[in-house]
Amino acid sequence: METLKNTFDFSDFPRVDLMVAGAVLIFLLTFPLLSHSSFAMSTMIQFLMFSIYGMGWNTIGGYGGQVDLGKAQYVGIGAYTTAVMLIRWDIPFWVSMPIGVCFAVGWSFIIGYPLFRLKGHYFAIATIATSLVLKDLFEVWPFVGAARGLEISPIKFHPPDFLRLIFKEDIYYFYILLGFFLMGILYINWFRKSRLGFQLRCIKDNEDVARSLGINVHLAKVKTYAIATAFVSVMGSFHACYIKNIEPEDTMSLTISIMIALMAMLGGAGSLWGPIIGAAVLIPLKSYLKEWLGATAGLVGIDIIIYALIIMLVSAGEPKGIWGIVEKVRRRRRK
Amino acid sequence: MALLKVQHVTKDFGGLRANSDISFSLEKDELVGLIGPNGAGKTTLFNCIAGLHPTSSGRIIFNGEDITDLKAHEVARRGLARTFQVYAAAGDLSVAENVMVGCFMCTRSRSLAKSRANEILAYLKLDDLADFLVGELPVAAQKRVTMATALGTDPKLLLLDEVAAGLNPGEIEDILASIKHVHYELGVTVMLIEHVMELVMKISDRVIVLDSGQKIAEGNPQDIAKDPAVIKAYLGERYVEVIHD
Repeated sequence: METLKNTFDFSDFPRVDLMVAGAVLIFLLTFPLLSHSSFAMSTMIQFLMFSIYGMGWNTIGGYGGQVDLGKAQYVGIGAYTTAVMLIRWDIPFWVSMPIGVCFAVGWSFIIGYPLFRLKGHYFAIATIATSLVLKDLFEVWPFVGAARGLEISPIKFHPPDFLRLIFKEDIYYFYILLGFFLMGILYINWFRKSRLGFQLRCIKDNEDVARSLGINVHLAKVKTYAIATAFVSVMGSFHACYIKNIEPEDTMSLTISIMIALMAMLGGAGSLWGPIIGAAVLIPLKSYLKEWLGATAGLVGIDIIIYALIIMLVSAGEPKGIWGIVEKVRRRRRK
Repeated sequence: MALLKVQHVTKDFGGLRANSDISFSLEKDELVGLIGPNGAGKTTLFNCIAGLHPTSSGRIIFNGEDITDLKAHEVARRGLARTFQVYAAAGDLSVAENVMVGCFMCTRSRSLAKSRANEILAYLKLDDLADFLVGELPVAAQKRVTMATALGTDPKLLLLDEVAAGLNPGEIEDILASIKHVHYELGVTVMLIEHVMELVMKISDRVIVLDSGQKIAEGNPQDIAKDPAVIKAYLGERYVEVIHD
């Protein structure tokens, strides 16, 4: 009962926040009516997907302060589980997605248990390494199509197929994704007020203090890492059905890992709205950089340079991102 | 039965012996001061007792149970809490939320943790500050927040590490009152490391003195103040005769 109340209770936010959130929600709900451009629609879907990736990352990376740059491996596990199961055994999305989550979370325990013995930069580097190793393994594994990857052929199915999540029009994907997005927000709203959420925020600040308050620091980190992984894996499964053509290079690459972390870091790590704000800024920027500067102006790779710059600026200037600036202004005004 | 028994505890950091063969015991409902010059090994001893450092040798018995090899969080869950000298509690948690982290040790329910935290804050007269971030507060208030947070875990024994350091006389009076409250009214056994002698001498039932990692004296505050070994440790050999003449 209390859990339910905490999930839906947003009353600790100022009214302005809630009004803005409400306006954004109405915009999102009516978006397909407002715009018929397929480019805008695909950008919007990207925005929602990366918001959810960011929300997941935010649990361990934001609230827990453990910079994880290896989330792409779990995108891959989710995506491949769904794709393989659909192609080989015709298992629908709603079955393969939870199975993918189980695989991903299982793998996250294997990875997380030893990795959380490391701290700070060492942890970040180790997560990059594990993610890249898994990507390389998938590239030589014939069962999952090796480097060529897997293709879900929509001709075999009869869209709209709600069980297998195969659609012709993006609008179906958009609304399903919006459902995940809202559930994600509710979950994080509960999480930040839960015992684990409080413990993580204490761990982020001072692990010795956390230990002396009876917190099993290592276990709390491993648990949260699993939660973050579940978020990412669900989106990985969705990604497989949406993109329909997955290969290790674009589902499990380092760029994906960095993008995921960047959403939350730019928007505001350790806050509910942070990852959403980050995605709202970065995804349009990414489309612009890639399509326009990259393709038209011939500046291939400029997007990665810009991301690197943003990471440096955020971590040096305002570690709590855009939301951190908003909070700072508010505090100053209150005084 | 003694609440805490420290038996021949030795702690080495590489070649440096921080604690050497220290033994003492603490009865329930005692208030014991632990003093000694800088570098005497007081904080290291606290860390060993609280499980943050593994001991090199020796045993620590708490409430009849051997806690020598337990991890810090397991020690805390058995009712042994400690505060830290430099308090860096969560920078983006408010005072009330900090205390809630402590309270969450005993409960999963947010509302229970919250009401317990409010009780403790009211008890230590911190309720006005509940919504401030800890980093925004003056040092004196921060020190009381550390005590409140540790109390959230509902401890049997509270180890206080320099709660009065850097405070002015008025603030020391406040913290003294808080410690007395916690000790006499909540019935928590307290052991405190302190450099502020007037505080230690005023409230301790018993004082233990460390110097260079060894226990050099133990007794009631009046005797300790006159003990030649203690005077020597603090002021040097010369002063022993000056004071005794």
